[in-house]
Amino acid sequence: MQVEQVDFVSVLTQDIPRAKAFYGETLGLPIETEGENDLEFKLGQVTLDVFNPASIGQEFAPTPAGIAIRVPDVAAARAELEAKGVRFDGEIVDSGVCHFAFFKDPDGNALMLHRRYAPREG
Amino acid sequence: MSGVGVERVDYIRVPVKDMQEARRFYGELLGLRENPNSPDEDWIEYEAGNVTLAVMTPHTHEYDFSPLPPGALALRVADVADAKAKLEAAGVEVNDMWDSGKCQGAGLRDPSGNPILLHRRYAPYPDGTMP
Repeated sequence: MQVEQVDFVSVLTQDIPRAKAFYGETLGLPIETEGENDLEFKLGQVTLDVFNPASIGQEFAPTPAGIAIRVPDVAAARAELEAKGVRFDGEIVDSGVCHFAFFKDPDGNALMLHRRYAPREG
Repeated sequence: MSGVGVERVDYIRVPVKDMQEARRFYGELLGLRENPNSPDEDWIEYEAGNVTLAVMTPHTHEYDFSPLPPGALALRVADVADAKAKLEAAGVEVNDMWDSGKCQGAGLRDPSGNPILLHRRYAPYPDGTMP
């Protein structure tokens, strides 16, 4: 079998309007489709699906995926998000090849701001 | 660019309990290309077309394992039934295929319990384009 691409990655939410405000306004992602229990956002090259599992009787669980969101400047993006009330876990980390900073959405889904500044080997 | 300047997803973490069985699953069974520049034996990056999957062990990165939630990762394949049959022939348990009217899917779990959806949209998007 051949995997062609990732069609979507999902995070679960317990509050669709709150998630819509966070991903649409705070992070500024364009909405692709919008339903009562399901939102799809354009997260760069892939669709981010935000779904309320209670609508089909499933339990909520936050994702540990730590979706690495590329921004031009981690410090600037962090400052802008903090000004909007987003809380980060720890300081910005410099790994030697990239900067990153961990945060969570209002449902506790793990996200990170990420920017690699070193060239890839090979 | 909008908001804080989100450009793209650089990778998503796929937490696993055992790298050896994870490498067999993602590399051999799913056939994803392993990035030769992966940083370490406990963090192997697989290229799934448009998104990098960072298959890694949380217990060596100072946090506890928990699987991805249901529906977290949808992988596009040419033919869901064909991919399901091939994985089943390799001993992977795959759920029944469903058809939403726009797309087909079949769920399975990796050896650590992470949900993977084999997915194919066959209906055109509202603008008439196809996946």
